[in-house]
Amino acid sequence: MSARWRLVLGLMLVVASMAPLLPLGLWSVARGWYFPQILPATWTLEPWARALSPRSDIPEAFVTTTAIALAAAALSLVLGIPAGRALGLYRFRGKALVELALLAPVIVPGIAVGLGIHGVFLRLGLTNSALGVVLVHLVPTLPYVVFVMSGVFANYDAAAEAQARSLGARPLQVLWHVMLPAIAPGVAVAGLFAFLVSWSQYILTLTIGGGRVVTLPLLLYAQAGAGRNDQAGVLAVLSLAPGLVILALVARRITGRGVMIGGAG
Amino acid sequence: MTRMMTAIGALLIAGTAQAQDGDALLAMSWDEIVETARGGEVNIFMWGGADTINAYVSDYIGGILADEYDITLNRVPLADTAEAVNIVLGEVEAGAGMDDGAVDMIWINGENFRTMKQGDLVWCGYVDKLPNASLVDFENPAIANDFGVPVEGCEVPWSRVQFAFAHDTARTPEPPRSIPELLDWIEANPGRFTYPAPPDFTGAAFVRHVFTHAAGGADALVGPFDQEKFDAVAADTWEILNGIEPHLWREGVTYPTSITQLQQMFANQEVDLFFTYDPAEIGTAVENGIFPETAMSYGLSDGTLANTNYMAIPVNAANKAAALVTQNLLLSGEAQLEKAQPEIWGAAAVIEPSRASAEVQEGFATLERHPSVVPVEELGQAALPELTPDWTRAIEDGWIRNVGN
Amino acid sequence: MAGSATSAIEVIGRGHPWLSLAPALCVIAVLFGGGLVLGLAGSFGMGRGGAGVDAWIAVLSEGRVWRSLGLSLWIAFASTALACLIGLGAALLLRRRFPGQGLARLLFQINLTIPHAVGALGILWLLSQSGFVSRLSAGAGLIDGPAGFPALTQDRFAIGIIAHYVWKEVPFIGLILLANMQSLGDDPESAARSLGASPFAAMRLVLLPLLMPALIRAGAIVFAFSFGAWEVPVLLGQSAPVALPVLAWQRFTDPDLATRPEAMAIAMLIALVAALLIRVAMVRR
Repeated sequence: MSARWRLVLGLMLVVASMAPLLPLGLWSVARGWYFPQILPATWTLEPWARALSPRSDIPEAFVTTTAIALAAAALSLVLGIPAGRALGLYRFRGKALVELALLAPVIVPGIAVGLGIHGVFLRLGLTNSALGVVLVHLVPTLPYVVFVMSGVFANYDAAAEAQARSLGARPLQVLWHVMLPAIAPGVAVAGLFAFLVSWSQYILTLTIGGGRVVTLPLLLYAQAGAGRNDQAGVLAVLSLAPGLVILALVARRITGRGVMIGGAG
Repeated sequence: MTRMMTAIGALLIAGTAQAQDGDALLAMSWDEIVETARGGEVNIFMWGGADTINAYVSDYIGGILADEYDITLNRVPLADTAEAVNIVLGEVEAGAGMDDGAVDMIWINGENFRTMKQGDLVWCGYVDKLPNASLVDFENPAIANDFGVPVEGCEVPWSRVQFAFAHDTARTPEPPRSIPELLDWIEANPGRFTYPAPPDFTGAAFVRHVFTHAAGGADALVGPFDQEKFDAVAADTWEILNGIEPHLWREGVTYPTSITQLQQMFANQEVDLFFTYDPAEIGTAVENGIFPETAMSYGLSDGTLANTNYMAIPVNAANKAAALVTQNLLLSGEAQLEKAQPEIWGAAAVIEPSRASAEVQEGFATLERHPSVVPVEELGQAALPELTPDWTRAIEDGWIRNVGN
Repeated sequence: MAGSATSAIEVIGRGHPWLSLAPALCVIAVLFGGGLVLGLAGSFGMGRGGAGVDAWIAVLSEGRVWRSLGLSLWIAFASTALACLIGLGAALLLRRRFPGQGLARLLFQINLTIPHAVGALGILWLLSQSGFVSRLSAGAGLIDGPAGFPALTQDRFAIGIIAHYVWKEVPFIGLILLANMQSLGDDPESAARSLGASPFAAMRLVLLPLLMPALIRAGAIVFAFSFGAWEVPVLLGQSAPVALPVLAWQRFTDPDLATRPEAMAIAMLIALVAALLIRVAMVRR
């Protein structure tokens, strides 16, 4: 195929990717934009002014969503890095079973376990709290982190650690100076995707948060469900923000090996 | 920023609030109840789809609660009231402590109330304690019965609503003004009408209008569920609805899934008629730019269904004293008048203005309305009582089986 | 603090693999396993006095459930097939250099980061009968009004839902394949070409089989998600039949509490079918 054709096809791919975002962005600066208007007759920043006004739920939901996603990503890393290391470096009996168990939450749809998890959390007193929401977000985030990290550790040279130890390095020093630099890019990718997966959750947040923990996706469905397309547009654009920032930051890195993730957020 | 962090902190420790025993409260005087409530919080779970309603509760009611009683009002927005009922049920089923539930108050009526009442999930017997309850005429059957279920002191009325249709005067100057006219109109204007599929609340209410029409009027359906009568009327209803199906939007192969979808279709000129269980919404939609200024709501000559919505306190509510203070405030003449102002919400009051103060009476007498909203009095001349949940459930299930497949 | 840091190092540093796996396994066992067990118990009506198979009998004997299952299977199969096909094409396209390739690759990845709710809303406003494309068509004089535009959302064939999943998952599949192609390098194909294979044959007979394991794994994830997600069909789906997860949620939030065991049974059915189909796909490989 010639470069020209690749350019045309590439352009089509990009246009198709971007097209659904266009009406979202337009609605966030429109008033009463209905058929047959191709572009809004009334352009206005009023939806943004309203969304950012002190009366609005949106700024607080933005902070809540970010805090929950940070906590869920951090917890997934703490739990997922050791597990990924074990899966990446060791061969042991029952490994396939462990892999299956840790992958299962990706295969079994969230709604199937969400209704049951609600019962678990009720008994633990974790419903209607941000803590409960953070914990339930581990169900979709942890498997991704484990499998990214097991891939990273599969290519990791553990001999360097033994070398450092034989030179007298203490465990903490080995961890800090040998392992961490080697796995840092993988940790970054795993953490960012865990963040994004948590950031996008709706049904688990609603079931466990019981409506008390208000995140951006909850507001998005509420506003779309009330026909407030302008507010839904603002929320949609805001929901894009972290993904775009992250992508800009790691644009180069992500095209490398660390893309075994994402997607089914 | 600090405020938000505090809010997150508060969420993290939610559920550990001080428990309050319902029986102990009922033994107190009103002043003692107010003192118990002071400095506390109240968590109101309510449908959160309208800015105007949200602002009225959070700002107006929340402001008075904070200023006069030092009570913090947390409004929890819901997409569906059943979610709150589910939370209470889950807590009670899990055997969590009886007086530390997350939900202090639910905006509720109809089948959700029936579920809570039958499941002993709702706290009863406190209505006499509220000083402002004297403003309400509890003898009025439209207030004493919630979709035909006797209220019996288990919830406190908040607003009245009545079903209304809407048209765009610029597009459809002569809309049909009764169910028979509508059925003819649908046939004459193929593809220009549809209704949301039950279990959507408003769609189910539309089907009940046709059902009432098929029964020959609302009087035939008053009282408890009657299977024989249902079977006879239902057969006619499904025949009517299946008969108009080929003339509906997309030939009735599919229906909108929500009233919001119908609202958007009306705004986008995909259909010519809209309907709602709260005519004030038409005014709000015009103000928000969703509908053109030529949108107008109207009633039917053969009547439209009306209902009352209520506030209920779950049996396991953690903050019952604050919930009582809030309910009393919601019933005050001033709060009911504020709620009736078209730019605030435009919701019809449940109190008798004649029992309120002179200023409140004056306020109600001079109340203006949004030009797109049909006057309450005009609608009220032909108000049909709602059917009991047994009827509505049977109609919904029957529609899904016989029409909506 | 110092103590906990040391023990953490033991877990990460040396230790037995099980020690490092234990925390993650525990969390998954309690949250996920516990959720499944309680969901299953709930479907048998446990925790509300009685225990029985009433809900399962009701669910399995209901035509609506089977129609919903059929719809969800159609959505999942069609979305997975199209996403894999287009994803493969996109990967083949983007692996070679062309002007603007870097930018195209970057933009190609944006969908990965977009929440499903946002994408579904975007598709709705783009493709509905009064959406952006319809308005462009009306502006160009191709249609008279919304009814003249084909029903692409809330439609019988779930086109809108499938369009969303394809839109969202093509970059997912494409990037996984790109990563695999990079690690394979050009060698296998150029070897085949030097032996006289055409470019197409080299791709089909050499490259594709090498990519197959990754494609099946990624496809399984897409299948499971598009089969079980609620967020997308609730916005883009028609009134009847509804996708199976939407039906489960309708029963879960029904004011009539007697339908909750049925909701749990449908949820378990979703889990069962997803697990079974993916097991079959993995074994066939």
